[in-house]
Amino acid sequence: MTRGSPAAKTAAKTGSPWGSYWTGLWPDLRPDKLRFLLAIVCVPIISAMGAAQPALMKRVLDDHVVAGKAEGLWAAAGLYLAAVLGSFVIEGVYTIALSVAAERTIYRLRQRIVTHTLGLSQRFFERQPTGQVLTRATSDVDALSEALSQGSISILLDISNMLAVLIAMFYLDGHLTLALLALAPPLVAMIEFFRRRMRVLFAEVRDALAALNSFTAERLAGIEVLQLYRQEERTQARFRSLDAAHRDANVKNNFYDAALYALIDGISSMCVALMLYWGGRQLGVPGSDAVTVGLVVAFVDYIDRLFRPLREFSGKVTFLQRAGASLEKIYWLLGVTERITPGSVVLPDPTPGRLVLSGVRFAYRSEPGDESGKYDILKGIDLTVEPGEVVAVVGRTGSGKSTLVRLLARVHDGYRGSITVDGVELRDIAPTSVRKAIGSVRQEVQLFTDTLRFNLTLGEVVSEPRLADALRLTNADIIANRTPEGLEQPIRERGSNVSAGEGQILALARAMVRDPAIVILDEATASVDPLSERLLQEGIERVFARKTCLVIAHRLSTITHADRILVLDAGEVVELGTHAQLLAKGGAYAALYAEGFQDAAVAGRAPL
Amino acid sequence: MTLPFPHLRRFSARYVAPLWRWYLAGTAAVFLTNWMAVRIPAELATGLDALRAGAATAGVVTTAASHIFALGAAIIVVRTVSRLWFFTPARLAEFELREDLFARLLKLQPDFYAKYRTGDLLSRATTDITFARAFAGFATLQGANIIAALVTAIGQMAAFSPKLTVIASIPVILGFLVVRKGSAALMGIQRATQQQQGLYADQLLGALQGISTIQAFNVEVPFGARLGERASVLRDNNIRLARLRALVFPLFTVSGGIAVFLLLGFGGQLVVNGQMTAGQLAAFISLVTYLIIPLRLLGFLLPVFQRAEASLERIHAMFDAPVTRPELALTASGSGSPASATTALPPALSLHNLTFKYGDVAVLNGLTLDIPAGTSLGVFGRSGSGKTTLLRVLARLENPPPGTVSVDGVDVTAGDLDRWRERMVLVPQTAWLFSETIAENVAMGLSPGVLEAPVRDAALEPDLAALPAGLETVVGERGIVLSGGQRQRVALARGLAHARARGAGTLLLFDDVLSAVDHHTEQILIHTLLGRSSEASETRATPTCVIVTHRMSALQFCDQVLVLDEGRAVQLGRHTDLLAMKGIYQDAWNAQQGDG
Repeated sequence: MTRGSPAAKTAAKTGSPWGSYWTGLWPDLRPDKLRFLLAIVCVPIISAMGAAQPALMKRVLDDHVVAGKAEGLWAAAGLYLAAVLGSFVIEGVYTIALSVAAERTIYRLRQRIVTHTLGLSQRFFERQPTGQVLTRATSDVDALSEALSQGSISILLDISNMLAVLIAMFYLDGHLTLALLALAPPLVAMIEFFRRRMRVLFAEVRDALAALNSFTAERLAGIEVLQLYRQEERTQARFRSLDAAHRDANVKNNFYDAALYALIDGISSMCVALMLYWGGRQLGVPGSDAVTVGLVVAFVDYIDRLFRPLREFSGKVTFLQRAGASLEKIYWLLGVTERITPGSVVLPDPTPGRLVLSGVRFAYRSEPGDESGKYDILKGIDLTVEPGEVVAVVGRTGSGKSTLVRLLARVHDGYRGSITVDGVELRDIAPTSVRKAIGSVRQEVQLFTDTLRFNLTLGEVVSEPRLADALRLTNADIIANRTPEGLEQPIRERGSNVSAGEGQILALARAMVRDPAIVILDEATASVDPLSERLLQEGIERVFARKTCLVIAHRLSTITHADRILVLDAGEVVELGTHAQLLAKGGAYAALYAEGFQDAAVAGRAPL
Repeated sequence: MTLPFPHLRRFSARYVAPLWRWYLAGTAAVFLTNWMAVRIPAELATGLDALRAGAATAGVVTTAASHIFALGAAIIVVRTVSRLWFFTPARLAEFELREDLFARLLKLQPDFYAKYRTGDLLSRATTDITFARAFAGFATLQGANIIAALVTAIGQMAAFSPKLTVIASIPVILGFLVVRKGSAALMGIQRATQQQQGLYADQLLGALQGISTIQAFNVEVPFGARLGERASVLRDNNIRLARLRALVFPLFTVSGGIAVFLLLGFGGQLVVNGQMTAGQLAAFISLVTYLIIPLRLLGFLLPVFQRAEASLERIHAMFDAPVTRPELALTASGSGSPASATTALPPALSLHNLTFKYGDVAVLNGLTLDIPAGTSLGVFGRSGSGKTTLLRVLARLENPPPGTVSVDGVDVTAGDLDRWRERMVLVPQTAWLFSETIAENVAMGLSPGVLEAPVRDAALEPDLAALPAGLETVVGERGIVLSGGQRQRVALARGLAHARARGAGTLLLFDDVLSAVDHHTEQILIHTLLGRSSEASETRATPTCVIVTHRMSALQFCDQVLVLDEGRAVQLGRHTDLLAMKGIYQDAWNAQQGDG
């Protein structure tokens, strides 16, 4: 769990939200570049229209109201209204263009991540917790979406708005503006102080909440164990301390939040006081511009317009920083290149299904330049399985049985020696062709939340007769027919409505739907109910009768149905022959037989 | 007649009302803040008019300016405390509610948990509580604030000009109505979006967990497309949300702009006609701008009430759910019995015509048998035959009908549940681990010194040797860093540790946990458990054991074997006797011996 991902390191190196890595997003942005461009074009127009409003209001007040000129009053006010309505329209265009572009970009990025990830090799998934990979395509992408629609261009808009407001203020009264701006540095410093404090406090709040929620989640899910072991009081005490920490962090955070809000509110009132005071002083000074009613009203508005982005600015920068960190992690994932190198040779369909292994060696880890093979799990396997033959592989835990299955199912790459299917090297065969040739049934049945049909076809187009054949062959039709919905019956979360035995039958059916020439079967060790057991055995025997099979066997009945038996020990073939031959030999197989295979196999699983 | 918002009222009475001093002080501060905030435009009007009058009234201008400055400074303090005096009690109420809810959840029994998905319960205990807090803090503050702002600002506006007050109100009220409607629609889409996000995450998680299958079948492309479909639904929902958002909120700003336009026109006319001063009009405009903000929040307020009511209804459902502990009712009526006072002797169990139903389906059907103190019962049967349910009934995870299960001659449902659990250890079929260290998972409150023997007995030592930090390895969420077998062995060690801690007077219930250990370990374990190992002396009492297993190699050592089929006891006797009878047991034996 503590394996530091490289992402963490790179993120620390490039903490800036303006880093060049945003350019990596270009392929996803490009199809919507016109929308982004439209949003950018809107920016100066929005700023200009916004900054014009107080000035137009000032004109109405000073030129008509104060001057007592009723004529043209409504027209001048109408101009102000036009600016308000114009702002509404153009801001609408901006917001919609930007969010549509952002959402579409995010969708493309999501797809890019998913497509990339689904293609990564098993080694990657063995190392990387599923939750972390999931976070890349969900939370991290969401952070990015926030930054795109509320961070990036909207910061540009804020800056542009503030500039436009300042220009308008200078235009209306330069001296007053300068006097007010003198207040800006301490104000900005103060806001920044609060922001910093709040960022720390917010992190505290977030951590406290996360701790509280994950504690609650876990204890609720494990409530029976808690109750059985009488852990109620202990659990409540721990909950109380987490709950109190969460409360206290929030109360502290609330103070800064409330104070900042009030501070900005109060300070804008103080600015009004300052303007009035300034105006009063100007009265006595000949030649200076008089502070008019309209000017004060306009400046009150301008000050509000200046403060508003200031209030939100650091929040937006936070969006960007968070998105930057997320983007780093996403790039790290997109940069992972561990994948099975696809071959290109296409086997004839159907193909006879002759499997030849010669000198197959394999290690999960290796040191560069080390040829000693000291990490080898498989140490030179030789085996020929003729078309239609059934070979059972037996051995103790750790003998390399499961590794062999993984290699043949092409979920692991990098074997040495040679594995050929009908004379073609396995690594050279095109992925689609490998799947046509070799079907695999794994020990752990993975079911998806979808219909039964989907769980058999896995989203591929399969003809109805083919599907029906596979169902009948493996007895899966009994499962399909148990409800009137048939193949459309829903399979719930992780197959919670499917028993272990039914799951194994479905896994066998799933492999047979593809009608492969060779079947690699990793027999499950978990005990299943006798009825399913019988149906499964029947299905397996029918498959044996039709296909080339390599089966990692745990049940004696399966083993005795095999034509030949291969005994693996510590990655090497120690015996090979028929049941009777090997028993007569009195070696490793006879020893396993005496122990009862079922029990010998259960003690553990293959590494990872 | 029923009053609206019953759950809000119930929550308020229990959690909010005791904090009334906070809220009273907060309300006073809110009114003071608003009164001061409204004074500012009034002072401004005086100042502006004096400014227009020229140098003669410069003193008035300065006075007004200094008043405004002082008001601004005072507002900083008063507004801060007014917010705090609402938000702090809200946090206190949230804390208490959370405490009580969690305590309640710990008391509720499995029949309750069977009715709800964990995710659903969790969202009640987390998200729903935040909505209750939003009511106690945000909604009460804004409610007080809106009332205060309306009363003070409208009073001031009417003092300037009743006619203008009416005129300015029209667009603002219309704008408010639009935003209210719009924000309701927004909430709807937002909820749909959250749901879509959840569905997408679920589907992606499913794909990642099933990645080896996906790759083995080379179906990465259809799976990518299937996820893409989900993602595009999510995208379209988000776009709808953004469109509506771009329309609704700016509309309120526009309604304010329209109000200002009307004020400029009509008010300007009034000033020109001499019915109002220019300073007053300017003050009026800033009052309208001031009112816009709380009014905009008013649009959010009703949804907050509704959401909090719905959330509290869901929370109260948990408070109202019955805790199914029949002995409590009995104790209350004075006939409670200490059926399981701590004793050094293992319990003797007796089942008399035990029938147990889930809904209408009888999962256990008319079981009658005795398990004498210190003996062992093996339970055999296909899945769905009622084995697990039998153990759950004995552990009172499910309550048997009265009079069907007795412990040492006393009805189990009449005894105190907590006492009973202290005399019993159940190791369930599916191991549940918490994301702590292995040591903490095994100990679960026991002192760490007692772990060595159970760890050895559960054959956990080889696993520990292979793990980076041994017993101190943090197992991750649900024990994710461990294999299935390792998880089961940790749970087994936990059971063994607690069994030892509870001493000889214990009942051990093992649900299919032997499959986690190899044949050899199983043999040692079963001998230790059943007191048949060479070192177990005759004098030491052995616990009463009920062991569910498929392994006949273990069943042969049990004092009795019960064969269940569809909830009925079809066979009962010693291993050797059952082998001699025709039936499920003999068939299974032959199958396990092979050649079948």
